Amino acid sequence: MSALAGDPDASPVRVLVADDDADIRDLVEFKLTQAGYAVEAVADGIGAWEAFAANPPQLAVLDVMMPGLSGIDVLRKIRESEFASVPVLLLSAKSRDSDVDTGFEVGADDYVIKPFSPRELLHRVNGMLARAR
Amino acid sequence: MVVIGGALVVGATVAVLGACVLLVLLVVAVRARRQLRQRRDEMLLSPLRPPLITVAAGEDDDGTAVHTLRRAAGDSRTVLDRNIVGLLTKIRGVPAEQLVGVLEKHGAVHAAARELTSRSTVRRARAAQVLGLARAGDTVPLLVRALDDEAVEVRNSAAYALGLIGDAAAAGPVLSAIGHPERGLPAATAAETLQSMGVGISEVLRAGLHDAHPRTRMVAAHLSGERSFTRGLPDLRHLLDHDADVTVRETCAAAIGRLGRAEDVEVLARHTGQDEPLSLRRACTTALGELGDPAAVPALAGLLVDPDPRLAELAATALLGLGPRGREALVAHEDGPAVRSARLMASLQRASA
Repeated sequence: MSALAGDPDASPVRVLVADDDADIRDLVEFKLTQAGYAVEAVADGIGAWEAFAANPPQLAVLDVMMPGLSGIDVLRKIRESEFASVPVLLLSAKSRDSDVDTGFEVGADDYVIKPFSPRELLHRVNGMLARAR
Repeated sequence: MVVIGGALVVGATVAVLGACVLLVLLVVAVRARRQLRQRRDEMLLSPLRPPLITVAAGEDDDGTAVHTLRRAAGDSRTVLDRNIVGLLTKIRGVPAEQLVGVLEKHGAVHAAARELTSRSTVRRARAAQVLGLARAGDTVPLLVRALDDEAVEVRNSAAYALGLIGDAAAAGPVLSAIGHPERGLPAATAAETLQSMGVGISEVLRAGLHDAHPRTRMVAAHLSGERSFTRGLPDLRHLLDHDADVTVRETCAAAIGRLGRAEDVEVLARHTGQDEPLSLRRACTTALGELGDPAAVPALAGLLVDPDPRLAELAATALLGLGPRGREALVAHEDGPAVRSARLMASLQRASA
C-alpha cells in the first residue's frame, strides 16, 4: 500500500523522520519516499520539534536517543500540543520492556526496536495512517 | 641564593608551559587527523552511498545496487565494509542478508575469522562482532575459543556474536565460561547470549544448576525460570533447600515462583521463617505471590505481621494479586502499614499503566 494508493490526485502524505544516525535517517527517508510519502528528515530532537510545530505532519517517526531533545521529550511536546492526535512511531535501540513501556505511556502509537526490518517499518507506517484516517 | 631560586622557578614554569603547549598540539593533531580520515572515508564512500541505502532499505528490486556494492575495490571497499558492519547492527531481514552477501564477496567474513587471532585486542573484538553480525555459523568453534581470550572485551564480543548466531551447541561453553577463574565471562553477558539460543539449551541449563561455580548456577537458575524450563524444577527445589550460596537460593526461589506449581507453596513457604537470611525470606515471599496459587494465602497472611516491614509489605502485595481469597486475608490487617503501603503502590501502578 503506498501513500498515494486509491487517490492519484491527492497530495502525498507528509511524514516527519527524526534520527541523529545518518544511515537510519537516509534509509527511512528513502524507504518512505519510494512508497510515495513526502518526507522531511531532521537530525536532532530540537529540529524535530521545530519542524513539527512549523508544519505538522500526518505522522512522525522519532528516534528515542537524540541530542538536544530525546524522542520521548518530542513526543511529550506533541501530545501536549494542539496536534496531539498525530500518530507517532518510536524507533529505538532501547529494547528493555521498561523502555517500551515508557514510550507507550508517553503516548506512542507504535514502538519499533532496532535492528529493524525496513519493510516491516513501512507496513506499520501504512497501518497507522490507515487507522488514523 | 635568591637568584638561583628565581631561575629554578622560571625554569620549572617554562617546562610546565612547554608540556602544556605540547599536549594541546598533540590533541589538535589527533583531532585533525581523525577529521581528515573521516572526510577521506566520506569521499570514498560517497559514490557507494546511494546503492548502499537502496539495498539497506530493501528497495534493490533488480539487483543493480547490490551488484555495484559487490564490485567495490581498494580503499573504497574497506570503508564500505566498515559501513555495512555498522548498518548490520541497525537493520534485519532480507536487506541485512544481502549486505552480508556483499561482505562475504569482499572476503570480509573470512578476514574476520583470521583476525580473531590478531595481536590487537580491538581487532579481535571487532572480528568477533563481524562474525556475529554476518551470522557466520561455521565460525562457532572459533568464537567458542575466543570466550577464553585474555581480554574481557574480546570475550564479551565473542559471546555477543554467539548469541546473534544462536547455535545452541555453544550454550555449554558460554555457561562454563562464567566460572573461569581468571578469564570469566560476566554473568549478565552470558545470560543475554543464552537467551538468544532458543529451547535447545534446556539440558545445558539443567547441567549448569550443578556447576561448581555459584555464578554459573545462578545464571542457569535465572534462565530456567525466564524460559519456563520446567524439567529443571526438581533441581531448583534442591538448590533452594541446600545451596551454600544465598544468591543462588534467592534466584531459585524466583525461578520456582515463575514456573508455578501448587506443590511449591510449601517449598517456598518453609524458607520464609525467621531463621532464614532476610534476603531469601523476601525472595520466597515474592515468589509465593508469583506462583499465583490461592494455596499460598495462609502462608502469606502469616507474614503480614512480620517484624521486617518490607517483607510484610511484599506479603501484602502478593496477597493483593491472589484474587478474592488473597484480598480477604488483608481485611484483618487493613490499618497496618504493610497493607496501606501495598495498596498505595498498587494504585500508583494502576494510575501509571
